[in-house]
Amino acid sequence: MESPTILELIWSARWPILYGLGTTVLISALAIAGGTVIGVGLGLVLAYGNLAWRFAGRLYTDFVRGTPVFVLVLASYYILTTIGLDLSPFQAGVLALTVFCSSHVGEITRGALQTIPRGQTEAAKAIGLGFGQTFRYVLAPQALRLGLPAWINTAAEMVKASTLLSVIGVAELLLRTQEVISRAFHSLEFYLLAGALYFAINYAIERFGSYVERRVATD
Amino acid sequence: MNMKSQLLGLSSAVVMALAATGAQAGKLEDVLARGKLIVGTGSTNAPWHFKGADDTLQGFDVDVAKIIAKALFADPEKIEFVNQASDARIPNITTGKVDITCQFMTVTGERAQQVNFTVPYYREGVGLMLKEGGSYADYAALKAAGSSVTIAVLQNVYAEELVHKALPEATVDQYDAVDLIYQALESGRADAAATDQSSIAWYITQNPGKYKDAGYGWSPQTYACAVGRGDPDWLNFVNTALHEAMTGVEFDTYAASFKKWFGKDLPPPAIGFPVEFQ
Repeated sequence: MESPTILELIWSARWPILYGLGTTVLISALAIAGGTVIGVGLGLVLAYGNLAWRFAGRLYTDFVRGTPVFVLVLASYYILTTIGLDLSPFQAGVLALTVFCSSHVGEITRGALQTIPRGQTEAAKAIGLGFGQTFRYVLAPQALRLGLPAWINTAAEMVKASTLLSVIGVAELLLRTQEVISRAFHSLEFYLLAGALYFAINYAIERFGSYVERRVATD
Repeated sequence: MNMKSQLLGLSSAVVMALAATGAQAGKLEDVLARGKLIVGTGSTNAPWHFKGADDTLQGFDVDVAKIIAKALFADPEKIEFVNQASDARIPNITTGKVDITCQFMTVTGERAQQVNFTVPYYREGVGLMLKEGGSYADYAALKAAGSSVTIAVLQNVYAEELVHKALPEATVDQYDAVDLIYQALESGRADAAATDQSSIAWYITQNPGKYKDAGYGWSPQTYACAVGRGDPDWLNFVNTALHEAMTGVEFDTYAASFKKWFGKDLPPPAIGFPVEFQ
C-alpha cells in the first residue's frame, strides 16, 4: 500500500478545511462588525456621556476587558442557559467575541476622541455647529485616523480568539484542522497549513487597514 | 488540572447551583417526546469519535450512541450529535445541553460526584506497538532487552513513569504529537510505541501487515457514558440498552462495531446461566 503524499492528503481534506476557514472568517467578521458598532457607541459614551452614563460605560468596559475571552465564551454558552437564553455554540461564540471586541473598540474610540484638542470642539461651537455636525465633520475623521492602527490590531486579535470557540464545538478552522489530523495524521504539516491560513486572514485585514489609512490620510 | 478545566468546573458548579431549584420531568419521557437523542461527543479522536474522509462523524463512541438511539426509537439514526471538546463533557451534561455524553470518558471518583456514569462499554489500557518483523517479537523480548530498547511515547508529565511501569529499564523518548511516535517507530528511532491500546488496534487495522501489538496492556481505565444526576429512570434505561448490547439482543451490533474499530472478534456471551453472575 503506497501512502499518499502530503499534497494528496491536503487535497483530500480541502472541503473540511475550507468550511473551517469560512466559519472562522464569518465568526470574525460578525464579531468585528458588531463589536465596532457597539464599541464606537461605547466610546462616545465614555468620551462625552454624563457622569451616570460614563460610570456605566466604564464598568462594562473594565469588566469585559479584564475578563479572559475564554471565560466570556464559556459564560455566554453555559451561564446564559440558566436564565433561559439557550444559544447555539455558534451564536454564543459570536456574542462573546462581539462583547469582547466592543470593549476594546470602545477604549480605542475614547482614546482617539480625547486626543483631539478641546479647542477644536470649541471652535466648531463658535462657528455654529451642533454636536452632531461637530462629530461628523471635525471629530470623526480625525478619530478614525488616530484609532485605525489600534482597531486593526483588535480585529486581528478577534481572528485569533475565534480559535477558542472550538472548545464549545464550533467547527472553525482550528477544530476542522484537528479533525483532519485525527484521521490523516501529519500534525505538523496540517498545523502549518492552518497557521498559514490564519496569517492570510490577518494579512488581508492589515492590507484593508492600510487601504483605509491611505484613504483618510490628510495628504 | 489545567486552567481550562478549572474554569469549566467552576462554571458548571455555578450552573448546577442555579439549576438546582428547577424541577424537571423525566429525561426518558423528554427524549421520547422529542423524537431524537442529543448526544455529546468529540470529533478529533480516531477510532472513538472522528470525521471520516467523507466528513461524517464515526467511531466506537458514535456506534455506542446509535445503540442507545435504537433502543429508544428502533432507529439508530434518530440522533443529534453535539460536538464538544473533552473539557466540555461535564458542563454540557450539567447544563442539559446534551441527554448523554459518550466520549471515551474515563470513570473517576471525582467525575462521579458531578455526573452519573453508565455501565462501562470499554476498558482502555496502555499498550506497546511493534513493527511486524522487527528485532523484538513481543513484550517479553522488549523487557529482556532492558535499557537497550527505546520507547516512543506522547509527551506528558507522567509519560516516563507510565512506560517504566511495564518496562522499568527502557529508554523513553517523548514526542509532541501522536503521529510523531508512529513516525519514530516507522523510522527505527524507537523500538516500540507506547499509547492507548485502542489507538494501537486502530492503527494496525489502518496499516494491515505492518505493525503488531506486543501483547501486554497496563494502566487500566474504564470508559462509560455519562448522564445528569438525579434521574434514575434515564440512567437505568441507558444502562439496560448498553448492557443488552454487550450481553443480549444487540450483541451482534456491538461486536460488529468492535471488530470494525479495534479489529478483534468478540466471542458471544455464553448461553444459559447469565455471564454477569459467573
